[in-house]
Amino acid sequence: MSVLLSCTGLTMRFGGLTALDSLDMAVEEGDVLGLVGPNGSGKTTFFNVATGIYRPSSGKVLFQDEDITAKSPQEIYRMGIARTFQRSRLCLDLTVFDNIMIGNHKNLDFGIIHNLFKRRSFMAEYEDNLEKARSMLHALNPALAKRIHQPVGLLNMIDRRRVEVCRALVSKPKLLFLDEPSAGMTHDETRRLMDEVLAFSRADEKFTLVLIEHEMEVIRRTTNRCIVLNFGRKLCEGDYESVTADPFVQEAYLGTDL
Amino acid sequence: MRHHPSRDLIIPGPAGCVLMATALLAWSILFLKAEEQIPILVYMISGSLLVLVAALSDLHKSISATISSNESSWDKCMTLTLLALILIFHDDHYTLFLLGTIMVYATAVLGLNVQLGYTGVINFSAASFFGIGSYTAAMSSAAGLPSLPALLLGGIVAALVGCVLLLPVLRTSGHYAALVTMAFALLFRVFLEVNEWFGGPQGIAVAPLTLFGLDFSQDMQLWGIEFSFYVKYDLACLLLLVLAFGFVRRLERSWLGLSMDAVRCDETAGACFGVDIARWKITAFTVGNLLSGLAGALYAMMLAYISPANFAFPDSLLFLSILLLGGMGNNWGVILATVFVVVIPEKFQVIQEYRYLIYAALVLFMILYRPMGLLPRKARNYGRLS
Repeated sequence: MSVLLSCTGLTMRFGGLTALDSLDMAVEEGDVLGLVGPNGSGKTTFFNVATGIYRPSSGKVLFQDEDITAKSPQEIYRMGIARTFQRSRLCLDLTVFDNIMIGNHKNLDFGIIHNLFKRRSFMAEYEDNLEKARSMLHALNPALAKRIHQPVGLLNMIDRRRVEVCRALVSKPKLLFLDEPSAGMTHDETRRLMDEVLAFSRADEKFTLVLIEHEMEVIRRTTNRCIVLNFGRKLCEGDYESVTADPFVQEAYLGTDL
Repeated sequence: MRHHPSRDLIIPGPAGCVLMATALLAWSILFLKAEEQIPILVYMISGSLLVLVAALSDLHKSISATISSNESSWDKCMTLTLLALILIFHDDHYTLFLLGTIMVYATAVLGLNVQLGYTGVINFSAASFFGIGSYTAAMSSAAGLPSLPALLLGGIVAALVGCVLLLPVLRTSGHYAALVTMAFALLFRVFLEVNEWFGGPQGIAVAPLTLFGLDFSQDMQLWGIEFSFYVKYDLACLLLLVLAFGFVRRLERSWLGLSMDAVRCDETAGACFGVDIARWKITAFTVGNLLSGLAGALYAMMLAYISPANFAFPDSLLFLSILLLGGMGNNWGVILATVFVVVIPEKFQVIQEYRYLIYAALVLFMILYRPMGLLPRKARNYGRLS
């Protein structure tokens, strides 16, 4: 398998705080990679740098051998990286369909004539996209597909997460970042959601996923490889068993016996 | 499922739209014909009571269901209602002027709705862009440009000035962006007042609209009936309003409107899905100012004389309060609220002096108790082929 995303010497400073400290890591095509570490260890900062929200203080990010360090979030999205957010960032007053379509930005036709005056061709495009969104929702939860025209604010937490996952997957990204999917959900809901996401990823063996998660059970069940961060540095990497066996990890992440 | 008896009260389908429009027309005629303060007050109170009853019972649900499932009938009914009012008051200068004012203000606030309601770009200088349209029309027709190009130029210049103002607005956000537009609104009036070329504080005369040799400032007689010259202006205002409304609604029901919503909701999340934040802010600001400028240009021609006092900061606040009152993002709400804000102080003279006090209290009340406005925006419906 080839390397999809890699970063070298990645450093991100906020004033006196160093959130990422010369981080080197690589994500391989087809990976389901778990990113773990205590609060403030730089996991979400890594997502924000890799998706172009922050520009790193130094270091490089390569995606498919192309330097994306200085690219905007929009350009990075167009290259095929999508993400979800730790705190669900959906537009609560927009419908399920609208929220999913925001994620489909790169496939929509924004021509003024097409949108405003050739309404017949616009509606044909709309119907196609509606069908696409509906079948994605149906695959996750048939009941949710029926609520496609309802505002997201009326949904419960797991359905909101599902909508977020659909928003991220609708544009068929090559790489998906999931930022703490378990936040605000029960163990059981998290397990269901992750099974649904993995079903998606198994349909395409090149599909690559990076997952931030605090619940080690989720990491154990879903990932094939883990990277442990601490104070913005990579503490260790390997499969779940070898990582959790590491005494440094036990100390930094699982805590020491008193 | 619980049965709603009141749901059967309204005749469904296009007939229901016709019925509601007729009732609205009848009430409007009575209200606009009334001249004494007591009957005016009676009509106002009875009208508000009716609305209150509808809002508290299930009636409003069946009304809005009838409207949304018969949209094109409803659009036609409302256009015809306005047309009927214009013809019924064909020789009443004062009422016709009031109707014309409502329609141009509504057009300008529809523009503000694209900016603030859809995209979340704050604009405290809506009346300044309205004024840019007015002054451009005045100056260009004084320089010999025919009416129609002068009208269009009013919109274009307002849009272009808006693009220049947008440079500092895009570099700031939140309160700071609001301050930039406030400063512009204050500067605009001062700029007009100190420039003799623009007529100074006294203002300037505006040449009337002349289309195909038809002078809009002359009364006319048709089939022995006297028509006020305002009838022609009102028809022009109605045309502008209908076009602006259709445009703004189609904008909402397209991917363009969706992207504007994405910008308003969450810029960071939007950017991560390819939404070009600056592009949509520029588009919304330009479209909004274009509409304001066109409305202002037509208003200036109808008014025949404009001065800087017409386009002061309080007028911008008035436009904003119309939008807040009607419901951010709801185009019907904009029209409803414009009617309230323009007509009530004119007809109910007692409150004329206190109108800004009353608007302020009303806006505070709305923000506290009904932040979505009188007619909250509905979830997007991409609509039929309309």
